[in-house]
Amino acid sequence: MTDFSSNISRRRFGKLALAASSALVTPAIFTRSANAQIKKGDELTVGIWGGAQERITREFIAKPLEEKYGVRINFVLGGTPDRRSRAYAERGRPSFDVIYLNIFESRQAVRDRVTQPASESVPAYEHLYDIARQGGYGVAFNPVTIVYDKTKVEPITSWKDLWRPELRGRIIWPTYPGAQGTAALLMTAKVWGGSETDIDIAFKKIAELKPFPALQGSQDQLFTMFDQKIGDVSIEFGSFTRSYAESRNPNIAIATPEEGQAVAMNVACITEGTPHQKLAEEWVNLHLSEPCQLAYSREIYYSPTVKNITMPDDLREKLIVGEEQVATLVDFDWDVVVKNQSAWTQRFNREITS
Amino acid sequence: MTQTAALLSTEAISSPKPRRRSALGGLLVAPLGLWLLAAFALPLGVVTLLSFQPTADLFEPLSLLPSLEQYGLIIGDGYYRTIFFDTLLLGAGVSVISAVLGYPIALWLVRLPPRWRAAGVALILVPLLTNVVVRSLGIMLILSPAGVVSQIVTFFGLPEPRLLFNWFSVGVALIQVFLPYMVMSLYDSLQSVDRRVEEAAASLGAPPIQRFFSVILPLSLPGLRSGLVIVFLMTSTAYVSATLLGGKNVWTSGMVVFEEAIQLLNHPKASAMAMLMLVASLAASALIGWVIGRLMPWTSGKRPLSLPRLELPTALAHGASAVIEALGPWVARLLLLLSMAMLLFPMVLVVVSSVNDSPQATVATFVGFTWKWYGLIFDNVRYIDAFIVSLQLAFASVIVALALSLPAAFALARHPLPGREIIMAMFMLPLALPGIAIALGMLRLLQWFMEIPPFLGLLAVHVVLIAPFTLALLRTSVAQLDKTLEEAGAGLGAGPFDRLRYIILPQLTPGMLAAGIIGFLISFGEVTVTAFLTTARMQTLPVRIYAEATFSLENTVNAVSTLIILMTVLLLIGVNRFVRLDRVWHR
Repeated sequence: MTDFSSNISRRRFGKLALAASSALVTPAIFTRSANAQIKKGDELTVGIWGGAQERITREFIAKPLEEKYGVRINFVLGGTPDRRSRAYAERGRPSFDVIYLNIFESRQAVRDRVTQPASESVPAYEHLYDIARQGGYGVAFNPVTIVYDKTKVEPITSWKDLWRPELRGRIIWPTYPGAQGTAALLMTAKVWGGSETDIDIAFKKIAELKPFPALQGSQDQLFTMFDQKIGDVSIEFGSFTRSYAESRNPNIAIATPEEGQAVAMNVACITEGTPHQKLAEEWVNLHLSEPCQLAYSREIYYSPTVKNITMPDDLREKLIVGEEQVATLVDFDWDVVVKNQSAWTQRFNREITS
Repeated sequence: MTQTAALLSTEAISSPKPRRRSALGGLLVAPLGLWLLAAFALPLGVVTLLSFQPTADLFEPLSLLPSLEQYGLIIGDGYYRTIFFDTLLLGAGVSVISAVLGYPIALWLVRLPPRWRAAGVALILVPLLTNVVVRSLGIMLILSPAGVVSQIVTFFGLPEPRLLFNWFSVGVALIQVFLPYMVMSLYDSLQSVDRRVEEAAASLGAPPIQRFFSVILPLSLPGLRSGLVIVFLMTSTAYVSATLLGGKNVWTSGMVVFEEAIQLLNHPKASAMAMLMLVASLAASALIGWVIGRLMPWTSGKRPLSLPRLELPTALAHGASAVIEALGPWVARLLLLLSMAMLLFPMVLVVVSSVNDSPQATVATFVGFTWKWYGLIFDNVRYIDAFIVSLQLAFASVIVALALSLPAAFALARHPLPGREIIMAMFMLPLALPGIAIALGMLRLLQWFMEIPPFLGLLAVHVVLIAPFTLALLRTSVAQLDKTLEEAGAGLGAGPFDRLRYIILPQLTPGMLAAGIIGFLISFGEVTVTAFLTTARMQTLPVRIYAEATFSLENTVNAVSTLIILMTVLLLIGVNRFVRLDRVWHR
């Protein structure tokens, strides 16, 4: 016995230990039954943001499903990074059935086999705009654009207007990575002749705008900064800014730059290996139904991702509706963006924030 | 002088059988040690293993062959080195200023009439009871260009200062939230200082400031030690306040760990950064412990640290002392006022916002009066469910943590354990590792973790998170026990259990309460680690609130905070009726 164990090299022992410990974990995986059909008493676990998003999905998706099938819907609330980290850690044996991600994270997740690509098994799939069929099921457009205090800043009609000399020191730039910061970086590259594969110019141009009075990491933070007169211009989701302008600060305007608004999208993703495939598909289908889409539009100005919605006139002008408008949204090669995220973060932190 | 004499006797009189006492000490430390081993060593092990990975690929099988790649990347990079040292400096600055502001508050608290003391303690704890987002808003309102401080400065014709989104505002925010820990630590220490010692000094002609520096300060050094260590460790791992009030102009090591681990999914680099922080923080807290130990030669029996003395001509010295004595009390009062204002302003803001009819919680202007946010809490069963989970979890964690820390505190304070400071440092590890790194370790262990009943799992982790506090505070309390009372008890024939029941525990009650309250609040408010461990079935209240904040914060948050503040004040006043928060027998 002693001879044998002394022959085991350290590395080999490590492998054995790993094998032994994975043997301990295996039963937990097999105890889950592969139960794709909807049964009474099933539980669907959904990872989504809190606040209005939870309220709307509870009312328009969870309640009907629970009544129809006698199932139970569990919500795990939180921010995208949290549930994304968890879903990655649980790849192949998820505790979530459906998670909500941003546009770039969702496509990466499909490629990493953490979540499933969109498919026709969700009936509403046929109504989705093409752009909303990648990386899962796009459920809401929420484009990013320039927002500014119209009492202090001349009207903004182009992304290049941010480089007007009188705006130096008054722009609250969004931090990278993050939906707004990503859009800001990519749009800068685009309007100054670069692209996602030629990003250098973007960093140079953003650095020209320094010093920034502050950088913002979320819409709530930006709105407080506007309230406190920290700066006059920023780059943000048009939807939330509209709510903010209507309820708190009528001076804030949402620009429609000639180069277009940068696409951002919430995506419902069914996890790879979910034991509740059918129920998860029902969930997504209900999210894409007219009542749910309209509730999103009315409450938080999210634009629908399906074509078969009749939008009331009072909302239409505040949203992106119809093929023609959706086509104006600026899209990017998100594979390239995700691949470079780490490197760009390094550059952003060194060249822009410090 | 009973206190000092007791301390002297504890250490100076050598025990008849040192080896047996040392073994007993080991036995007393064991329960806490085992708990940490089970619930903390595993995630720490994972983080250590991750930090030695050669590549950042998430799905690559872990290599057991250690590689220094990640450490090289961080240490070899001036950018990270700067962040690292800036963070340590921030920690040092925040802990020293907290001590300067903490003393006036702690002294004020000790001198309050006993019946008001519970309310006083409750006021100090207010920042710990409010949501971090709302607290940051409070700081922003004070420091913004339109805020109070700027207005005062410009009123005197000075140029408008830039106070927000820099190290200054981050420092202010951290001092505000960590000051209560310092105050509680000093308070516990100060109230066991025998008042007669100070009276003796006064009757010998020592004026107030001299009394403070030559009597009160030296006798409260154990409290200062735990306060400094706690505040330093918490500051050096903080990232939420730094993110909210630094406007990304400020970078701390904790922010780097968060960004690498959660946003970029680069676990190895995040782990390496966390490990470096761990080592630096431990070294720093060992240094604090050593310096303060040397300043207290009566406990260690070692040669005192000789501080350089300023020799002034007698007349000049008298003059300087007169000026200091004349100004000192006013400076102390000013500091007290300043720090109380800083502690309490957020509470005013929270209470006012809880009835503000504004769409988001981060609105500075009062829109209109409404009770609807309170209505929303009671309408929503899920808030109440989450609240009950939080309450149960916090109670259970505090009881377990106290039960484990008390014997360990005795061992560390009274038994000649070899490597006492090292053992203490090991127990402080959970505090020195950024919460996000613990979460990262847990994330990797999630599959195993999910097999444990959720409540038990959360309990295990929460005990780990609060044990450093309960241990540090209880160690101070035990070190300051009046041992002559126990000897008197023994002389009168009381057995060990009678002595524990009638002499030791009553003396320890204030310390246990302080430790218990702090532990309760930490467990009740913890988000970083808990967020990763909550399941769909079990969610704590702060995690719920935090989830709302990821979208848009509504004023329900402030209504919840107001209710919690109210509940804490009532609870403390209730407790004070049955258990005195002070040590009356010193009179």
